[in-house]
Parts: sequence; C-alpha cells; structure tokens
Amino acid sequence: MRVFVPGDSAAISVGADEVATAIAQLDSTVEIIRNGSRGALWLETLVEVQTPSGRIAFGPVTPADVQSLFDADFLNGGAHPLSLGKTEEIEWLSSQERVTFARVGIIDPLSLEDYRAHGGLIGLRKALKLSHEVIINEVTESGLRGRGGAGFPAGIKWRTVAQSFGEQKYICCNADEGDSGTFADRMLIEGDPFTLIEGMTIAGIAVGATKGIVYIRSEYPYAIATLRKAIEIARTSDWLGSRVLGTTHAFDIEVRVGAGSYVCGEETAMLESIEGKRGVVRAKPPLPAVEGLFGQPTVINNVLTLSTVPMIMAEGATAYKSRGVGRSLGTQIFQLAGNIARGGIVERSFGISLNELVNTYGGGTLSGRPFRAVQIGGPLGAYFSSAQIETAMDYESLIAAGGMLGHGGVVVFDDTVDLAQQAKFAMEFCAIESCGKCTPCRIGSTRGAETIDLIIKGVRVDENKKLLLDLCEVMTDGSLCAMGGLTPLPVKSAMINFPTDFDGVRK
Amino acid sequence: MKFSPWSQDAALTLLATLRDENGPVLMALQLMQEEFGYVDQACVALIANYFNKSRAEVHGVLTFYHDLRTTPPTSHQISICAAEACQAVGARNLEREIKAKFNDEVQSAYCFGNCALGPAVMVDGKLIGRATVEKIEKALQ
Amino acid sequence: MTMIFEPDFGTPASEKLEQVSLEIDGRSITVAADTSIMRAALEVGIDIPKLCSTDRLKAFGSCRLCIIQVDGRNGTPSSCTTPVAEGMKVATKSEKLDRIRKGVMELYLSDHPAECATGAECEVHAVAKKIGVATSRYTTPETHLDLAKDESNPYFTFDSTECIVCNRCVRACDEVQGTFALTIENRGFEARVSSSGTSFIDSECVSCGACVQACPTGALTEKTLLTIGPPTSSVITTCAYCGVGCSFKAEMRGDEVVRMVPLKAGGANEGHSCVKGRFAYGYATHSDRITKPMIRASINDPWKEVSWDEAITYASDGLKRIQSESGINAIGGITSSRCTNEEVFVVQKMVRAAFGNNNVDTCARVCHSPTGYGLGQTFGTSAGTQDFESVEHSDVIMLIGANPTSAHPVFASRMKQAIRKGAKLIVIDPRVIPLVRTPGVEAAHHLQLMPGTNVAVINALAHVIVTEGLIKRDFVEARCDAQSFKEWEEFISLPENSPESLEASSRVPATQIRAAAYLFANARNGSIYYGLGVTEHSQGSTMVMGIANLSMATGNIGRKGVGVNPLRGQNNVQGSCDMGSFPHELPGYRHISNPDTRKIFNDAWGVELQERPGMRIPNMFDAAIAGQYRGMYVQGEDIAQSDPNTSHVHAALRAMDMVIVQDLFLNETSKFAHVFLPGTSFLEKDGTFTNAERRINRVRPVMKSKTGKSEFEVTCDLATAMGYPMSYESGAQIMDEIAATTPTFSGVSFAKLDELGSIQWPCNEANPQGTPMMHIDHFVRGQGQFMKTPYVPTDEKATRKFPLLLTTGRVLSQYNVGAQTRRTKNNIWHSEDILDLHESDAQLRGIADGSWVKLASRVGETIMKARITDEVPAGVVYTTFHFPESGANVITTDFSDWATNCPEYKVTAVEISPSIQGPGEMIETHIGGDPQLDSIIRMANQIAANVPANNAPEIQVAHHIVQFWTPTMIGRLRNEVDHALLSPIVVRAIEITLMTNQYL
Repeated sequence: MRVFVPGDSAAISVGADEVATAIAQLDSTVEIIRNGSRGALWLETLVEVQTPSGRIAFGPVTPADVQSLFDADFLNGGAHPLSLGKTEEIEWLSSQERVTFARVGIIDPLSLEDYRAHGGLIGLRKALKLSHEVIINEVTESGLRGRGGAGFPAGIKWRTVAQSFGEQKYICCNADEGDSGTFADRMLIEGDPFTLIEGMTIAGIAVGATKGIVYIRSEYPYAIATLRKAIEIARTSDWLGSRVLGTTHAFDIEVRVGAGSYVCGEETAMLESIEGKRGVVRAKPPLPAVEGLFGQPTVINNVLTLSTVPMIMAEGATAYKSRGVGRSLGTQIFQLAGNIARGGIVERSFGISLNELVNTYGGGTLSGRPFRAVQIGGPLGAYFSSAQIETAMDYESLIAAGGMLGHGGVVVFDDTVDLAQQAKFAMEFCAIESCGKCTPCRIGSTRGAETIDLIIKGVRVDENKKLLLDLCEVMTDGSLCAMGGLTPLPVKSAMINFPTDFDGVRK
Repeated sequence: MKFSPWSQDAALTLLATLRDENGPVLMALQLMQEEFGYVDQACVALIANYFNKSRAEVHGVLTFYHDLRTTPPTSHQISICAAEACQAVGARNLEREIKAKFNDEVQSAYCFGNCALGPAVMVDGKLIGRATVEKIEKALQ
Repeated sequence: MTMIFEPDFGTPASEKLEQVSLEIDGRSITVAADTSIMRAALEVGIDIPKLCSTDRLKAFGSCRLCIIQVDGRNGTPSSCTTPVAEGMKVATKSEKLDRIRKGVMELYLSDHPAECATGAECEVHAVAKKIGVATSRYTTPETHLDLAKDESNPYFTFDSTECIVCNRCVRACDEVQGTFALTIENRGFEARVSSSGTSFIDSECVSCGACVQACPTGALTEKTLLTIGPPTSSVITTCAYCGVGCSFKAEMRGDEVVRMVPLKAGGANEGHSCVKGRFAYGYATHSDRITKPMIRASINDPWKEVSWDEAITYASDGLKRIQSESGINAIGGITSSRCTNEEVFVVQKMVRAAFGNNNVDTCARVCHSPTGYGLGQTFGTSAGTQDFESVEHSDVIMLIGANPTSAHPVFASRMKQAIRKGAKLIVIDPRVIPLVRTPGVEAAHHLQLMPGTNVAVINALAHVIVTEGLIKRDFVEARCDAQSFKEWEEFISLPENSPESLEASSRVPATQIRAAAYLFANARNGSIYYGLGVTEHSQGSTMVMGIANLSMATGNIGRKGVGVNPLRGQNNVQGSCDMGSFPHELPGYRHISNPDTRKIFNDAWGVELQERPGMRIPNMFDAAIAGQYRGMYVQGEDIAQSDPNTSHVHAALRAMDMVIVQDLFLNETSKFAHVFLPGTSFLEKDGTFTNAERRINRVRPVMKSKTGKSEFEVTCDLATAMGYPMSYESGAQIMDEIAATTPTFSGVSFAKLDELGSIQWPCNEANPQGTPMMHIDHFVRGQGQFMKTPYVPTDEKATRKFPLLLTTGRVLSQYNVGAQTRRTKNNIWHSEDILDLHESDAQLRGIADGSWVKLASRVGETIMKARITDEVPAGVVYTTFHFPESGANVITTDFSDWATNCPEYKVTAVEISPSIQGPGEMIETHIGGDPQLDSIIRMANQIAANVPANNAPEIQVAHHIVQFWTPTMIGRLRNEVDHALLSPIVVRAIEITLMTNQYL
C-alpha cells in the first residue's frame, strides 16, 4: 500500500513529517513515499493514497487527524471529512497546465525509475543524438525565455556560449530564488530534481560545457539536500560523469550554496559568489556568455528555464510555443503568496488575468478582509491596486502596467497594508542587500528609506516626495544592476497607485 | 544544534576536503561555520594561507555574507522571514512578539520560499509555516 | 616652475589594432577597437565626469557619473565600461544625464565632509563643482563621518570619512601591485575600504603607495601633503634605489619635497612604485647629511671641517705623495653605482687620466660583474636582453637566485600580473621566496637547491633538454656558432651532467628537474630572470654562461617574452659598468688593451692611457695589506660594510695612507678615511641613471646642492689638483663627451632624453630611438657562443666545525647597507638583521625563536636574533646585511667568482650557537701573512678548475689572467709562488705563456 506524504519543505513546515511518522506508527506495512508537493499549499499536508482507481487525496491533514483517517479506512479511499477525492480531479489542480511542474508531486523525487516512467530522460536521449546546432535551434524556436525575471531568450544565450572560445565552459543554474513570494524553484528541486539535472545536461551538450553548477540559497536547506542526493544518484547511474548515458559526452554538476545575499541572484554577482568571492555585481560587457564563471563562457539560466528544456526537447519546440500569448510563449509558474486563502503553485499559459489568479485560484485574502494590494514579481516588483485586477499576466502587459513579471510571484495584501511602509521597506531591503558597488544603490537606498520616513512623519512632504522621485530616477537610470535599478519600481508604483498613503498624515 | 569546539587541526582537516575546488574561500568559511557554529577569527589567516589568498580577500568575503558569523552561537537560532509575503500575514508583529518572549538570538531572514504559508520561521534549521509564538515555543523544546 | 600634469584617460589604452569610427557629441572620431567611450571622448577633449575610473585600472563602473546615451540603445550605460562600436552615436550631455549626475553627486555629498583635508585635491568636490552641485538636499542622513582615522602607516593616513568606496585603492592593490592587501568589508551602505579588518600597519600592505596614488579623495593621503601643504611645482626625475629605475614626479613646495609621485609615462614603472622610491626619500635631507668637507691626519683624530679648497689640496697632496713614494699604481678609485653616469664617467676618467693608471673598479664588482663577463662571452654584450614590459609576454618564467618582491618590487608586480594571466613560474632558489607562493601566484616548480650548486642545476636542466631532443635546432643553426654548440652539446650530454648524477650535490630531485626542463623547453616564450643569487658565487660567471646557453638552446632570444634578464641591484649599476668603471674596460665595454679604443680616449683626453688592466677591488685590498696600494678615492660606496670578510677590508683600509670618501653620510668606510668630501643626493643631481633594461633615465635636480657643489665638480677639482685639469659646465656636457667617445651611446644627449623621456642603449645611427630589445636578428658578437660550464663545487663547504651554509639577501623595506633606508621611517618594518634558520637546526642547538645566537665562520663572528622558519631548508641559514650593528659581512669570506672576483656572498660555511649575553662586539680575525699571495694562488687555481677547455686549457688560463690581472699580480704569480701549490694547468700556463715578456 503506497501513501504519499509530501517531503516538500512547505508541507514539512506545517507538519508533514509528523503526519508521515504518525501514519507509519499506526501501520508499519504502509509504503510512505515522500513526494514533492502538488503545489496546492493551502491543502498541505496533502496525503494521497494509491488506490486501484487512482490517487485519492486528503487534506489538509495534521498529525492529530491521522488516527481518524485510519478509522475511516483512508487507505482504501474511505470517506473522511478531509477527503478531497481523486487528486487529479481537484479543480484547483486540474485546471492548470502543468508543463514544467508536470511531475512535481506525482513522483518520488529521488526515484530515477519513477522519473523514467514519467517521461524523464526522453529529452536528453534525443539531444544526445543531435548536433549542438539543432538543439540550440530547437530551444530558440520554442521561444523559451529566461524565467529568472529578465525574460531573455534562452536559445540566443546558448548560441553565444556555443560560439565563444573557452577551455572550460560552464552551465550555471541560478537557484538563488530570493524573491519574496516565489518558491517555484525550491519546489521543483525538492519535487523533481532530475528534471533540472536533465535540463542542465542538455544545455551542457548543446554548448559544449562539461561542468554544471547549481548556485542555491542557504535558506533552502531541504532543496539543497534533495538536489545533492539526486546528483549522486545520477552519477552512480551512468548519467552524470565522463560518459553521459554511455555516450562520449561528459557532464557533471556541483552544488554551491549561497550565504545570505539577495544580490547574488543577479547573474554576475552569482558568478562572483560561486568563485568564492564577495557577491559584487560585475559591469557588462563582457557578457557572462563570453566571459563568465572563472572567465569562461557560461550559460546562466534559472531553475525553471533549465527544467523546461527536457520537455521542449522531448515534445518539440512547437508543442511548447503553442501555449502562451504574443512574445510570452509557453507556460508560467505563478506563485500565490502572502495574505491569500489558497496559496501555491499555479502553472498556466501566459496571459491569465490577475483576477483569476488572486480570486479564482487564490480565493481572496487569508484574513478575509478586503484585498487591497498585490506585489507582483518579488521585492523589486510593482504594487498593484485592486483597480488593476484585470491586468493580463505576461511580460509585456505587466511592463505596460508599470510593473514586471519577474519570477512570477504574486503577493497579496489585505486592507491593513500601509503602502508607504511597504515602499520604505523596499528601500530598506535594498540597503540591506545592496552589494555596495554602485553609488545610486549603495547610498541611494539608505537615503530613500530616510526620505520616505520623513514623508511618513509628515516632514516637508511635498519637498521630500519630489526628492524621492528624483532619487527614483537616479536609481532607475543610474544603477549598475537591477537591484538598484528596480527598487524604485515598488516605491513609485506605491506612490502612484496608493497616493493617499503618502500624504504625510498618519491614518 | 551541536557544534564542535574550535580547533585549528580539525579546521585544517576540513579545509583539505576543499583542496581541489576552484574558488574555495566562501565554501571554506561555510564549512568552518557548519562545523564550529561560527567562523573563528583565526580562520581568516588559516584559510588565506591554505588557499593562497590574502587575508584581506578572506575578510572581504567573510563580512559580505550575512549568514557568516564570527562569534559562537550561545543559544537557539531563530530566523524570522521579514520579507513582503510574510509581512502580509503579520510577520512584523510576530517578530516583535518573539523578540519580547525569547532570550534566543532572533535574526531577520529574507524568504525561506514558504510564502504561501507565512509567517515563516526557521528554528535551529527547522522550517515552521504559519508560525505562531506557540509553534516556536514547541519547536524550541 | 609649474606642476606637471599627466592626463587621466579613465581606462587603459586598447591593445587592438583595428580602428573604429564613431560620433561623440556630434564629433567624428576614430580610435582603436575596444577603447572605452570615456577614453575615446577624452581623446577629442570631451571630459566626462568620473570618480571610480582611472587609466591605470580596468573599468569598474561603480560611480555612475560617467553615464552616456547611445542612439538606438536603451538606458544610460557608463562610458567607462562601454566600448566603442562602429557607427555609434554617443551623447555625453543631455538634460537627463545632467539630472542623474547631479542626483548621484548629491548622494556622494550626503556622506562626505564639506571640507576635505586635501582641499582641492579631492575629486569629489572638484567633480561636484564641474557638474554644478553645491550641496545635497538630503537632511539628517546617516553618515560615516564619525569613523576614526588610521594613522598607523608611517607615510600615509587612511581617513574613512572621505572614502567614497570607489574601489580604486582595492583595485590598485590587486591590478597594479598584486598584493591584495585591501578589500571592501561589509556590503551595501556599510561597505568600507578595509585592510583586512586590521590597521594598515598590521595588514599585508607593503606600502607601495599604489592605493594612495589611486585614491581620488583625501581618504588615502601622504602625510607630507597634510604637513607641508599642496605642491606648487614638480620635476620629473629617477629613483635612486634599485635597478628598476622608476620615474617619479618630485612634487615640491618651494625647496621641500611634498611627495614623490610615480610617473605614468615612466618606461620602467608606468606609474607604479614601491615603499622605498615612493616614500623613503627623507634620507636625502636627513640631519645626518654632511655638507661640509672634512679632513684629518689620522683615522684616530677627530674630523675637522675645512673649505673645499683645503680639502681638495689635502687630498691631492696625499695622493701625489704616495705616487711619488710608491709609484703611479699605488692609488686608485672606486666608482659608485649610486651616482649618475656622468659622475661615474668623470671618476674613471680622473683615475685613468689624472692618476695615470687603471686602478678603477666599481661596486658592480661585488654584485653583477659575472653578468658582464658571462653575457659578454656568449652574446657579446654585457646587459640584459629585454625591457621589463617583455615579461608580460612570457609563457614560462624561470627565476633564479632573485627575490624580486623584495629587491625589485615594481618589476615583481609586473611579473606577478603576468603569472596571474597564466604564465608559469619556475623558481630556482635555496629559499622559499615569496613568489614561490603568494596570493594570486604559485610557482609551477620550486627547485630548492643547496647554495653553491647553481651550475649543477642549470647543467642538469640543459642535459634534459639536449638528451630529450627538446633543443630548438632551427634557432641554434641559424643564430649560433656551430662548433661551440657541438662541443657544448657533447659536454652537456655527459652522464655526469644528468639530473640523477647531480641530485646528490644540488639536492633537487631529478624528477623535478626533468619536469621543469620540459616546461621551459616547450614554452612558446620562455624567459630567464636572475639576481645576485646567480652571480655572487665562486661559479657566478659559469652560471651566467649556463643561463645564456639554456636560452640559446631553447631559442629564447630576440623577441618579446624571452631573453636573459639580470635584475640589477643598484639604481645605476648598469650605468656604472657602461661608463668604463672596470679596470680592464673603457666606456662601452671595450678592453683597455685595444689600441684603437685607447686612441679615441688618448686623443680626446690628451693623455697616454696605460694598456694593461688595473686592480679590482679585492686586489686593491690585498695590495693595501701588502703595502703596495696606499691611497684611494671611494665614491658613494660603503665598502667597509658591504664588502665580504670585514676583517680583511678593515685591515686593508687601516693600512692605507689616504682614503678619500665621498658620500652623503659618515659611514663604516669613513671611519678609516682621511678626507671626507660631502656628496649630493639624487634630488640635487643633474645627470642620468641607466636601469637594468639599459634604459637611460634623466635625473633632474629638484633642489640646490646642499654642499654648494655638484659631485662631478668635486671630482674635477681633485683631478685638476692632481695636475690634470678637468671641468664641465653641466651633466649634459659630460654626456656629450660620453657620446663622442662611446659608439653605443653616440646618439644619446640630454636634449634627446628630454624629448623621448628615456632611451635604451645602444642608441646610435643604427638605432636612433634606442634599443628596447637586443639580439633580434643576430647577436652583438655575431653568432651566439655556447660555453662549456663544468660544475666545480665551491671550496666553501660545510664542515664539521662549520656545518651550516649561510646565504644572504634583502628585505623590501631596507636597502643594501641601509645608509638610505635606515634614515627613514622604513625601520618600522625591519629594524635589525635577523638570522633565519630551520626548526631542525634550531632544535639541534637549543635555539629558541627570537633568541640571540652567535653566528661564526672561519673569518669572524657576530651575534643576531634568530627566527625559526620553513623558508629555509635544514642546513641553510639566511640573513640580511642592512645594519652595521649585525655586521653580516664579518662572517662572509673573500672567496669569489673565478672569472671576475665577485664575492661568494651567497655561500659561507657557518656554525651557530645560543648567545646568552645578547649583542656584543663583532669579532674580526687577525689578518696576517701575505694575503695577496694567498689570493693569487687561490684565484689562479680557481681559474684553472673552471676554464672550460679540453685542449690546451693552459692557454685559456693564461689568456684569462692576462686579460684581467695587473702586471704586478702576474709577476708575483710567476716569480714568488711555490709551484707545488698550483694546479698543473696553472704551472703549464706560466711556463708556456706567461713567461713571454709581452705580458709584463
């Protein structure tokens, strides 16, 4: 009898380990699979039972519920107040278009057998038979864009690396998912690490790199552990190493762990950090694709970007690009977070409306109070008001609305939020996390927080608002990287969309 | 969490595991902290010498990363996520409460990737979702 | 006089040849590809505001003031980090750019003092003014204005309140100096420049001044700038420390030096400096300076200040009296490698023309004389083959017996940068010198040989190259003498030269030798750099020839990145040799026996020069003890401290009747002097120095002579008083005479030097702009000559009584005998000589780290403090010789190089033992018997052992002796020596050749 209790750290954070222990204690014959999370985090701990008719879900389960589940014969799909029916029929899940997350929550993350049984390694096997050029063309053709936030076409980056000369090229996976409100990278690594490994291997073969490095943040200890185990399994099973799946291609992957620095999610700062140095941003040019890690040509892609590659290779560029709108092709993994009733992963084609995400999927706020603001795209993303609820969620529409998609995080706030405080926090966060290299970010962020504080206190409000807007321009146009360059985005959007919070009068 | 007492010999044995790494300084500092709970001041010269770096280079790295600490931990380690998603569900209040309630070291962190189940708190490396003072208290026991 | 201003183009010049055309602010411009927009703009006079960029450092892009707009591109990129592109249209000014720049400047001003300590020097205020921002609108900001100053370095302050975190200092320490002593600590708003969390003096900082030079604000400032005030004029001149010969701007306020600023246009240093040249110039105006002439009747009398006339007359009377009593050859002179070419030229001219003999030698005798001999024999000229820049093109660098980070720091920085860019380094040295392993640099091989076994190692390397078929045959056939190559190839292939055979002597594992030989032989460009660890040996000359052989055999001559490069010691050791300071050579390395050469000088000077060589320095000492040499003129050299076997030197000086010392300070030698003629510092001189790359640099007076006379004027006065009138109006006039009489200098003049900045000789009709690289198409002597180099172990061996080998060297902060640096704040780094020894040797003798030890050799003993270190292997001890108190040369012996008599400083058999009472008197041995005869026997036998000939070695021995010995010495060898004491080859040489009267 197989029971699935997610080993995802979000599930663990609300008692999944204890649930698993409780089940094991009551029936030691049960085979407990620690799968990834299905992404319906509001249902965690989501326990699934394998029955002849499919997987039956129960949730959210707490350790205290376990006895009653046994009492209700849940192992045979017995009726229970927490029963959700067949997992794939839960509408919150079934309405999604799981491409990148296709296997997450379904398979045992560390079972290579499971991985193969669910379509794993098809893409890689295909790629191994193709020329560099054909692989790169396929990725280019698919329209896959960097999921880290910048949205740069992956194929073009790969081509640059393939054409650059270097003794040792690298594939760097940016798993420094530092944006508040985002957790897709973490969930993918914890739930389907082989997909990432496969994507990196394909990238390596495509550009002629034999070394891959995953730079992952220390705040993700569970993901680090899972990924390390998965890499070890791939090494011992003829995948990673000097002969990838028995071919003459060599590829191996190393995990490097961050040490508490948001800016190391910026690609050049990440390179410095992987090199063991201070995570300070590099000026471009040279592009990392030409002179990247240790001065060598380097592909830098986000976890989700690389994890989408196996599917593109397996099913073809056309299958991927048939989804999405305009230049935002394929799917996006939206993450519903913050003050939201039904938070989690929603993978849908680009173009879904904010309303559908926040209200249809999200079910409004967790507190039950009116929804007032949503920050899209992490701490450097814009704050939107309820008036902008119909905005389409794709790269271009969000830019047009004065924001950005970023890593697809959607953080919901209820009506208790004070946007002046949030704006101040944006500056404070920048002050804490700035690498300290360029002046607009290094000094500007502190000055920004000080100036907003004066506005909040009602000191020379108009004068300080003018100064703040001037500072925002200096930071936007003057900063070396996106950290300082985008910090004004939440600040200005808050000022524009929530002007009353900046009138200097305490509410 | 249990750490070994600082020992230069033990440190050198650990550093030897990084001998062939490219760009080893940050990893070395992290390794020291994993083993001893902090980076002893002696590590700067030790790592510099071991990997043929200057002390300044090591010092620069050590002071850049907020994870790295130079004093031994004296209590449980509580990190509370102070980023927006957790702010949206009361993290600021929770932080005040924790600081008032516990004598342990409380640090701000910026996102554990548990943004749908905030506030998120890490107690000695264990992640707690929908954190409350009571849950933290239980985790500390 | 005005201030010399060197423009700052913001980013380094591009090395690309391809040209790119673009438009900046509507002006068309064509520049090299990869040039930054900032630099391109400045080349047409468009000055884009900047703070973090400077043309000695790679673009960094942090200050965000130099932003620009480019047609068709988004955003406002920084012009320092954006390269030009064909057809690009750039705007450096717009309302938007102006707004952003003002905004950035407001941020700077919000955390910067309103008044800076250095006033107008602070670029923050200068740029703020330029872009029209007076104050910042930010009120009550958090700042760093309460941070404490770090005054720990003796020469500069670090004031963090003025720091703008532009990283220029950190980058300079990395990219220019290569020490990595600085970093930024913390991040974000708290990011600050830090010397690794400690004060500067406790950090890894070597005080080169690159950070101070790079700092755009008053954060890093010379203390003198704060105490003396801003400079009002500047003069370009040349440092007077080591053979690198760095160019500096002496920045003056009135007659006082405010600071020495390294010159970017300086060919040798390209804007870099070390702690000595940059900061330790204070000795020049130290209160110890003697500025009035002094005389005394005996060395036990007190000095008496007299007029110049009285001093000159007293000196010349003494010298004339000696010549009348003991013959024309009973006096002589020593030229100084610290003095200008012109001053040296005048001294050797005085000896040859006014004294009427060839008893002139120079302190190069005790450092690089084997270089002259060895490279002369093989290549045909006595100088390094390359310029310093060449090292940046090397793929494999072999560094032998040199410690550049201490002794040639500015060149060491270049070398380090080359290694960091990928060049491989092979170090051959008994000690673990810093370059074996220092941040950013790790030697591929360290062949840690025993002192005295250089030739064994170079032969073993060559053996591998020859026997493994790694010879560059094409080069050898095209460029080298076939017969000499064939003989050498046979010789070096002998099993006795294999690494395995020589392992026992050198203690270098044969496998290491083989690996290093392969690395060097397979290098695209392999270069050899060496120092006194090569020359100061009994086989110094053999080793130089071995080096030359190796570079010819591997085809590493005549292009960038290769060559044989002696790292010269003193600032003008190359020049003093060039100027005819050796007893057997006239200026330009022409043998005194050559009648054509003599004729040039006879005609120019109106004299009849002696045709036989005069005495070398050690010969002078021997002759003095023997009573045959009674008077000498010593120009700027402290032979009593710097020459080996102090007992012997002291005995010789004590035996003389007229010792004339010309120097800045009273020194060890002046204790034995009868006349003291005050000299001038480099700040007062008008002349030239020639550095290790044959670069003739101008030395310009920045202040009036403190003695009232120029140094050459004093020499001329003495010559005149001796009866041979000499006078020159200026250094330029002396150079004209040098040019007129010396073919390699025929194109050199002060006017041309002023025009070109510097000139590398030869400079003549064929090479009017000078010669950065030698032997390009053919060797100066025609075909390269391979010389056989048999390894002959030194007689100075470890024995039961003296079981350890002492070797000597220098530290960064002190210079040679310390006459200059000991009179500066450099003592803070190194205030005494220390004996380094290995732990096993210390344990065996019960010596604790830091305790006093007695150091004894067969010639003397002294006491110094011990330091236990693994920088020396067991069996080897090491010390410096910077301090007269420790008297390291009381220990060193008068053994020397067989060909040139360069002392064997690098090998002395010693014993050490704990000393309870601490420093005491140095014990000198009594000099008895006939040291001159002893020397003659030893030297003759040594020549016989080393002369590399199969057939008729006696002819070569005779030839060598005739070429370098004085007639008196040859006479004593022939007539007074018991033949039983001589090698049979020497006996045959005497019988066959030296019997002919032609040599007497």
